[in-house]
Amino acid sequence: MAVTGASSRVETARARASRDVRPSRYRVRTRLGSFGVFGAPALALYACFVLLPVAVTVYHSLTNHNPYHPPTQWVGLRNYRLLAADADFHKVLTNTVLITAIVTVAANALGLAVAVLLDRRGWLYNTLRGVFFTPVVLSSVVVSVIWQAILTDDGLLNSALRQLGVDHPPGWLSDPDVALYTLAWIIVWQMLGFCVVVFLAGLQGVPQELHEAAAIDGAGPVQRFRRVAWPLLAPALTINTVMLLISGFKVYDQVQVITNGGPGNGTTSTIAFEVIQTGLVGNRIGYASAVATVMLVVVAVVSTAALRLLQRREVTA
Amino acid sequence: MSRRHPHWLRAIVAVFVTAVFFLPLYLVLVNVFKSGDTIVMDPAGLPVPPTLDNIRQVLTRPDHLFWYGLVNSVEVTAVSVTILTVLSAMCGHYVARNTGLGPRIMMIIMLAGLMIPPAVILTPITDVLRATGLMTSVAGLVLVNVGYYVPFGVFVFAGFVKTIPIEIEEAAALDGASQLRVFWQCVFPLLRPASASVMIFLGVWVWNDFLNPLIILGPAEGTTVTVGIYRAIGEHQQDFGAVFALMFLATLPILLLYLVFQKHFVKGLTGGASKG
Repeated sequence: MAVTGASSRVETARARASRDVRPSRYRVRTRLGSFGVFGAPALALYACFVLLPVAVTVYHSLTNHNPYHPPTQWVGLRNYRLLAADADFHKVLTNTVLITAIVTVAANALGLAVAVLLDRRGWLYNTLRGVFFTPVVLSSVVVSVIWQAILTDDGLLNSALRQLGVDHPPGWLSDPDVALYTLAWIIVWQMLGFCVVVFLAGLQGVPQELHEAAAIDGAGPVQRFRRVAWPLLAPALTINTVMLLISGFKVYDQVQVITNGGPGNGTTSTIAFEVIQTGLVGNRIGYASAVATVMLVVVAVVSTAALRLLQRREVTA
Repeated sequence: MSRRHPHWLRAIVAVFVTAVFFLPLYLVLVNVFKSGDTIVMDPAGLPVPPTLDNIRQVLTRPDHLFWYGLVNSVEVTAVSVTILTVLSAMCGHYVARNTGLGPRIMMIIMLAGLMIPPAVILTPITDVLRATGLMTSVAGLVLVNVGYYVPFGVFVFAGFVKTIPIEIEEAAALDGASQLRVFWQCVFPLLRPASASVMIFLGVWVWNDFLNPLIILGPAEGTTVTVGIYRAIGEHQQDFGAVFALMFLATLPILLLYLVFQKHFVKGLTGGASKG
């Protein structure tokens, strides 16, 4: 008893001594990186080229700014009132929401199906996974040009269809009723590999014991997927959905390269395309800024809401 | 465990599905090495005998579109990615190691930047660049890239720094190393996996970027290879061979980079998928 008491007294004394010698953890920590050297340069560039421009866009949306028609005047919410009544804007908004919805649902569903199919080890499946991922590292310009060559009226697909005896193959990119869906498909094709890889990582993170336990309990493959793998894929679904939503709302490249907003009047025009056309090309910066501000709010609200909702259903094994 | 299907059935289905998915890329690859009339006659056939005419035509264009584009792309990508890696590693370290209110707010503001569409901010960005005389310059494009992509880098590095024991840094600080020295000699070398992910991701994104170089570099001062493809399709709509060859050459550098760093790329992508 006495011995242990003495040793613990020695222990505390030693601890006290070492605490006196060492600078406090707080002091060391502040020495490990100060704002001025470590945080400021990145923040400054971010402020210059993202935060300030966002503020300017919101400000411009409340003016009639047009560099070729000075002076710039404060117009309050007039641009937003015009937007609310603008049929073209409604069209563009519908297009964007439709593309985003199709891309989010289709890329997730197909991505999951392919991931389940490729969820095996070995060189063959590694290679196939690599093939699916290739479009992700390609520029959307490259992807657009490839699909344009395939899908134009006398492109590779329709030539093949004609040889198969189809007299009037669809105008994939020239039919106003079809072009938007074609565009969405092209984006799905490019994004698919991303979803596949993320879902595969999720599938391979499911502990084998859980599968075995479920199998012993008599669960078939379908039930095992539904009850074991699917709940554990929740984080993967969150990542994919948020990523697809954000990239769906900002679709620009494919529209600019493939359809230029057509065929006809804005049948495939997206919000991002409209912002650039009205603002940088048409110089109606006030109005374009209002469109951009609406876009910003929609992206922020939808992706934050999706993130919250999806994270709520995430569980751990 | 019982197998309902023999595993070769899965392999066959998997190969077939992948082949259908790969068809568009196959069409590009074979037609790069075919002459114009063969492409029209037989678009899906193998290039026998292969011809390098398309590639030669792209490399020897009188306006040097490919070579100027390549120089610009390499310059923009290399400089942007280098600055981004350094700045976001330092900022990520700062945010991860300082738990006060300021750094936390800074992190939230930066994370919000991950979802801002470039089109929203492009007009004011051109104003900023015009005001500073950087419009239509490579330097301007680099600065915009750094500002726009730095949140992604900070996000990755901040997560990674948290997995490194702070005792290493405390020990170095106690031995009298300055802040910068602690970072460069003790922390940064340990961040290599994060640096690899950040460099490959941002390398691919910057190389493939279309809207920013299209608007910021403008038509006069030359373009990147990615914008070069867009300019080229306007000229020879029907000459698939030449366009495909240009795309092939423009994609080759970034595809090689991806193949070399593939492991880091997939790891960086899936780091959050399994851990949540």
